[in-house]
Formats: sequence, structure tokens, C-alpha cells
Amino acid sequence: MRRPTSGFWLVLALFLLWEVSARTGMVDSPNWPPFSQVLAALARDTLSGEIPLLVGSTLARMFAGLAAGTVVGVAVGLLFGASRLATRVLGPTVELVRPIPIPAIIPPLVLFLGLDNGMKITIAAVTAFFPVLTNTAQGLRAVEADQLAMARTFGVPAWRRLFLVTLPAILPYVMAGLRVALALALVTTVVAEMIAGEQGVGHYLVLMQFAGRAEEMYAAVLVLALLGYALNRGFLWLERRLIGWFFATGRDG
Amino acid sequence: MAILELEAVEKSFPARSGPPTLAMDRISLSVREGEFLSILGPSGCGKSTLLQIAAGLMAPSAGTVRVAGRAVTGPPPEAVYVFQQYGRSLLPWRSVRDNVAFAVEHRPGMSRARARETADLQLASVGLTGFGDHFPWQLSGGMQQRVALARALAAEPKILLMDEPFSAVDALTRLDLHRLMLELWEKRGLTVVLVTHDVEEAVALSDRVALLTKRPSTIARVVETGLPRPRDAVEVRETARFLELRHELLDALLTRGGHAH
Repeated sequence: MRRPTSGFWLVLALFLLWEVSARTGMVDSPNWPPFSQVLAALARDTLSGEIPLLVGSTLARMFAGLAAGTVVGVAVGLLFGASRLATRVLGPTVELVRPIPIPAIIPPLVLFLGLDNGMKITIAAVTAFFPVLTNTAQGLRAVEADQLAMARTFGVPAWRRLFLVTLPAILPYVMAGLRVALALALVTTVVAEMIAGEQGVGHYLVLMQFAGRAEEMYAAVLVLALLGYALNRGFLWLERRLIGWFFATGRDG
Repeated sequence: MAILELEAVEKSFPARSGPPTLAMDRISLSVREGEFLSILGPSGCGKSTLLQIAAGLMAPSAGTVRVAGRAVTGPPPEAVYVFQQYGRSLLPWRSVRDNVAFAVEHRPGMSRARARETADLQLASVGLTGFGDHFPWQLSGGMQQRVALARALAAEPKILLMDEPFSAVDALTRLDLHRLMLELWEKRGLTVVLVTHDVEEAVALSDRVALLTKRPSTIARVVETGLPRPRDAVEVRETARFLELRHELLDALLTRGGHAH
């Protein structure tokens, strides 16, 4: 679907309605600037380099956290897969911690890690950890026993079997977890920025609200919308490149 | 000289309740170097289990397996196991060439380039020149089994342990693979142990056929085919000796249900 569909026209119509409602006084409020002024603010702050800098810092923290959370999630998932004892000992704790809404741990985390990078990267890492862990465990159950036995018959050592058979085989499952984590991590990272410290798009958004600069505030919301969309598209592209075989062989069901 | 020896091999599996179920009862078999031996038995008689034990992929409950005189505790370097479900043992994320290279690339002193060279050579020997850059799932079943065969051969094994390798392809492809198999066996001086439930396949390819009984399985008897070498896997089916053996073995499998007595 390359051509604009009717859904695309609806988006344009809504922006137009926004513009008209602000200009004609249908909505008469200093907090409701015309869409064109929001776009102008967006363009101005983008060209000045402010927004790219904010986006860059938000993304850097989010990706650092995602990477850390993914590594730990896969590692613990492998441990669960390898050891029933580990599952029995750690499983209940994981199940107890998992349902906690991640923003709820921001205040206590601030007490230990402060307001800046450490706390926010940890938040993104925790966000990634749970979906990656669950999917790793699920992926391990789908690894073909024949592939592992095949590697053994050729005398491939255990650590190589892990990296050359098990990990590639569970990659599609890890990626599925990561896709969930990516969407969540944008939320939790921005929330963390809104609550604590003076960093990133989240802080900018709150700052502009306090300053009564509605154009910039909406510009920040637009940036986040675009960011979320771009991240998802980028992820789909990466998925096709890395695990095209998974879809081609119909293993995705 | 025996290159592979099974001595009083037993296998039992834990039952849901009560004592463990005996699947295999004191199987002894000696495979000569360079021979083509088939293990023939009814479905569910534990042929694959026996082969996995011989390959060092599964431990027997009792008895010993020796390859080249050494007791087997893990997969021995002399033997390679070829899986029934080629589609499951090939790595779908690797190209055909890299699947074959997988057999050797971990070896000390083996460069990536040399592993790939070896792979291309083996692919040529199974008639898959030019398919190295394809992915396994882009090939037909018969071609995928050729890839699995090329991968096994790349390891330069003395013994090929083959678990119903031709059962998942159509009849014509199967004959084609039989011919290829005999050609490779003759050229490379391999020892082949083939597990199958197909009487004709066993007779057409083998020097000896070991007949397995139903569970708990034991070897009912071992038959020398005495068919000439070199032989053509298709033409041999028209000889009187082939038909005689086919009749005899089918009879043993059907009328007595593969029982020893």
C-alpha cells in the first residue's frame, strides 16, 4: 500500500480541522494554537538544532537501556531454559515484579540512581527485560532438537552451538519481544524524563507546558508521534533483514 | 574388520508408572569397514533410537558401542548422523553453502574461505553446483536432502549413519537419491548404516540387511544380499536375487510381524 489511502486523507482533514478551529475561534484558548504555528515552531526548533539534540539524547538513553535489558533478558531466559531449578527459584519473583507499572518505580529509583542517565537507562532496561525474557523462554521451546543434535554429530562445541544454533533460532522470538519493548521503552523513557531531571524530549514537553508556550509543547508531542512511527517502521525493516527466513518458512504461523 | 560394533545394547524409557519400558533388548551388531548395511524394521521398532545410540547422540541403558575400537561416549569424529527430517536439521537462516560449511568451519585451522571452498566442492559432488547462495527453504525436498548429504560428506566421515533419509521424498526422487548414494559410497569408500522400513530400498542398496523385530526390538536375523557390485540402484530391482530377497524380507515383516520367533 504505497498510495495514500482514505486513512491518510482523514489525518490531513484532522490537521485542517485543528487549523480552522483555532483560527475561527471555534476553540478560543491560548492553549490551542493553529496547527500551522505548531509546525512553524517545530521547523524553527528543528533548524536551530534544539529538537534534534533532544531527540538524540532521548534515543541514546532509550537504546542504551534497550540493549542492556535485552542482553540481560536473553541471558536470564537462557538460564531459565537450561535450568529447572533457576525457573523454580527465580520464576515467582519475576512474576511478582512484572505487573508493576514501570513508571511507578521511577520515584524510588530516583532515590538510588539520581535524576539523570543512570536512572533513565535503567528504566528503559527494565522495560525491555520482561518481554524479552518471556519471548526468549518461548523461543527456546521452539528450537529444533534436530538442529542441536546435528551440530553435535559434527563435533561442534557447546558454546558454538549456543551462538550458531540456539541464538539464531530464537532471534525471531527475541525480536518479537523487542518490538513490544521498543514501543514501551519510548513511553517509559519519556515519562522518566518528564518526571525527573532536565533531559530529553520529555523534559522539554513539560518545560514548555509550564512556560505556557503551547506551540512548542504541541511540537514536542508531534515529534514523539513521528518518533514512535519511525521506530516501528525501522524495526519492521530490520526484522525483514535479520529474520526473513522465519517468515519465508512460515514458522511465524 | 569391524568399524562399528554394538554389543548387547539395551534401551529402556521411563514409564508413566511402574518399571521402565524396554524398547531394545540386547542388540549386538558388527558393521564391517566399507560395507553398506541396512537396518530394516517395522515402524515404531526403535530403529532411529538404535542409530542415535550408535551415533553417540543418545546413551544406551546397557551395553557398549565401539567405533574404530574405541568405546563411544559422545558423537565420534568418524561418524556422521544424517537426519530423517532434512527440513528440520538444515539451518534456515544460513545459505546452502554456509549450511554445508557448518560441518567443518569450527575445526582448528579452518578459515572461512576454505570452509566455503569445501562446501562448494561437496555441493558439486551431490549435483548442486550453483545453488550455494540459495536458502534451503527455496529448494525442493530432494534437493534439501542432497544439501544435508553434502554437509555430512564435508566432514569426511568414515561412517554415515542415515535415519530414513529418503522417506520424505517422492518415489522418483528417491530412486535418484539411491543412485547418488551408491555412487558416493563407492567413490569414497564409506561405511553406511541405513535405517529404513522400505524393503526394496534396503535390498537394492545394501550388502547386508539386519532385520529388527517389534518392541522390545532385537535383531531377528542378518541377511547377506549377495547382489553384485558395482550395481545400479534401479536395474538391480529386476534381478532374480533381488525379488527373492524382497519376498523373503517382506514375508518376515508382514506375516510374522517382525517377531523373532
